[in-house]
Amino acid sequence: MVKYVLKRLLSAVVTLIVILTVVFVLVRQMPIEGYFDNFDKLDQNMISARLHQLGLTDPLHVQLFRFYGQLLRGDLGASARYRVGAPISEIIAQKAPLSIQMGVMAMALAMALGIPLGAAMARSKSKFWDKFGTVFIVFVNAVPAAVYYIYLQSYGSSLLGTSMLFSRDDWRTWILPVFSMSLGNIAYYAMWLRRYMVDELNKDYVKLAKAKGLSERAITMRHVFRNAFVPMIQYIPTSLMFTVCGSIYIESLYSVPGMGGLLVDVISRQDNPMVQAIVMIYSCVGIIGLLLGDLLMVVIDPRITFAKKEDVR
Amino acid sequence: MGLLRKMRAAPLEARMQEELRSRRQAAEKDPFGFAAFSAADAEMTGVSDYSYWGSTLRAFMKNRVAVALLSVLAALLLFTVIQPLLPNQYPANQIINHPTTGVQMSNVAPSFTTAKVSVPAGTELIITPWEDARWTAVSNVLTGIKARAEFTVLQYGADYCRVDLDGQTGYVKNDFSTKLKLPEEPEKTPYASRSNFAIKLYSAPGDYTNNGDPLFVPTEYLNIDGERAVTNRACDLRILPSSAPFLFGTNNLGQDLWALVWRGTRTSLFIGFTVAVIEALIGILVGVLWGYVRRLDRLLTAVYNVVDNIPTTIVLILIAYVMRPGISTLIFAMCLTGWVGMARFIRNQIIIIRDREYNMASRSLGTSTVRIILRNLLPYLVSVIMLRMALAVPGAIGSEVFITYIGLGLPVSIPSLGNLINAGRKLISTSQSYQLVFPTIVLSIITISFYMIGNAFADAADPKNHL
Repeated sequence: MVKYVLKRLLSAVVTLIVILTVVFVLVRQMPIEGYFDNFDKLDQNMISARLHQLGLTDPLHVQLFRFYGQLLRGDLGASARYRVGAPISEIIAQKAPLSIQMGVMAMALAMALGIPLGAAMARSKSKFWDKFGTVFIVFVNAVPAAVYYIYLQSYGSSLLGTSMLFSRDDWRTWILPVFSMSLGNIAYYAMWLRRYMVDELNKDYVKLAKAKGLSERAITMRHVFRNAFVPMIQYIPTSLMFTVCGSIYIESLYSVPGMGGLLVDVISRQDNPMVQAIVMIYSCVGIIGLLLGDLLMVVIDPRITFAKKEDVR
Repeated sequence: MGLLRKMRAAPLEARMQEELRSRRQAAEKDPFGFAAFSAADAEMTGVSDYSYWGSTLRAFMKNRVAVALLSVLAALLLFTVIQPLLPNQYPANQIINHPTTGVQMSNVAPSFTTAKVSVPAGTELIITPWEDARWTAVSNVLTGIKARAEFTVLQYGADYCRVDLDGQTGYVKNDFSTKLKLPEEPEKTPYASRSNFAIKLYSAPGDYTNNGDPLFVPTEYLNIDGERAVTNRACDLRILPSSAPFLFGTNNLGQDLWALVWRGTRTSLFIGFTVAVIEALIGILVGVLWGYVRRLDRLLTAVYNVVDNIPTTIVLILIAYVMRPGISTLIFAMCLTGWVGMARFIRNQIIIIRDREYNMASRSLGTSTVRIILRNLLPYLVSVIMLRMALAVPGAIGSEVFITYIGLGLPVSIPSLGNLINAGRKLISTSQSYQLVFPTIVLSIITISFYMIGNAFADAADPKNHL
């Protein structure tokens, strides 16, 4: 098991290095305007002097090594247009806590709503909750999130009687962004939990429990639900990814001063160093999420073995 | 296919019934006699009219919702293709200006017709100078009345009052927009009155203009006398010299939303289908190589681990940011990670079935690898490939909407559903919310249909449901 964990860690690190390198190289291909806040006013000498000062005239591999050196010291570079000259790590340190807070709330809400919904769907096969849940899941999965977020924001805020935009001090303005962010995950959890629970319900031990005279409720909640819940763990990294990607859209829709809104902002301002840094951070979150999911599976389900699977073939 | 088999099976069944009856008769005659063995009869028990695709189709047809959505989707796709060929269509992206004033026809509400008012025969109209042989620009505005100019009310009406303005008689509107200054008992005419706004003097109790702009009527419907004209039959006065309506209204630039929506649907569907096909091609190719060629396994698994770890949305954003915005950029960005899921699935399935006995036998008989893959392996996977392709279309359309919102989508000159929704987004709580609603409805129909049909097809293609 230790060997597996080490191997998994190593692959995550390799992936991370590959991604960081690719992002770095790709962003170097961008037009150089993205490194200046007043490009139009500068003459050729000033531009080349500044480029030289930023080290952008060096060969790519030199830049890359310097970048990794800076990265190890926790230096992500300086913003070029968003907040001229400010260290990016500082900007992000201001923005990230709110995003993390919202993301955690959204994921907790998704579990609190999605899991009971899935269980209710499995228990009431082809009755109200199953039908309601199916319609909900189809809707959330099929219609692009970008579309129903807009309607949710407009009608939700008039229903709640709140402002359309987020403000940190008014707790009611937290409801809609967090709820919107959790919608995709609610559907996701409900869909998979229902599927696993229906699978479990068809197994022999359920028949035995029924024959023994256990109540329907005791069977589903104490036996079926527990067994069906274990494979759900593997969806945590994906749902983390859902939340992170949803936050890009939602934060900018509600003007939440977090990372997602920041990304949209710096993209529209073409701030190359900032885009590079934020994209890298998001990639890291994704990789770490997948890693955690895999490790969690190992901890939870002891049946997973790590023998070489070559002989299967 | 199923039909053919049924035709072959039907006489067999009849023969079997016949055979059973004759045996029963024989058994009644001689209950203890031996039953004769017939090789042909024994063969008959092996006949089955089961056909995979026939059963899939039958199972699919049982799902009423999916069949209904399939017909809706087919109609919609057909319409999207033929829409520009229909008569009375505005070209997408064309900004429609008012012919006489040159002002953009912006935010015209959705309507089935361009007619503004219907007038009876004998209506007097005033011609606005404008060059067109077939249509004439008309209104019934005699003259404008300046703000606070005095006139005499000759006859009071709840909607229009007949007034005398310096010897010229006509009608003025009497509502909140004119706020005429009226005495306590307005019916007791005549009296002097005025409005605090600039208003208009009409030749009839009615407003035959489009918010002050002239209306249009075919020239042959008019008896023209200098600047005046009289209608020679009951007819409609139109807001444009055309009978092509703005079914979905116009946007704030004065572009026909109907044309834009269908053009946008074509763009979005083109992106969706292209992405689905490219993903499927790359996914199948890589998946087959990965599963079948043992030497490539380690390399492709390593590549897979890297690519699968990268969040798709981030790749999309990064590629769209670095490359020039356009259809090909979007397709490229979506395909860059999209093939991974398909490739892994194909690989897993191929590993499972490639060493089954029938494949070993096939290989021993000297079948070429290409043929084994094409004839022995891939037919197993067709249903799942089609499911994945069906789900890739709404996925790609959704990604396009998302990337447009971030500001990295297609330029406005290429209408797409994402563009239109993004433009309509700001108008959601205004009276122009139709500019968001129409693209949303078309988009939702397409994505929900693809999703439901894909899933229904996957269910139908599962042999477990063929009983």
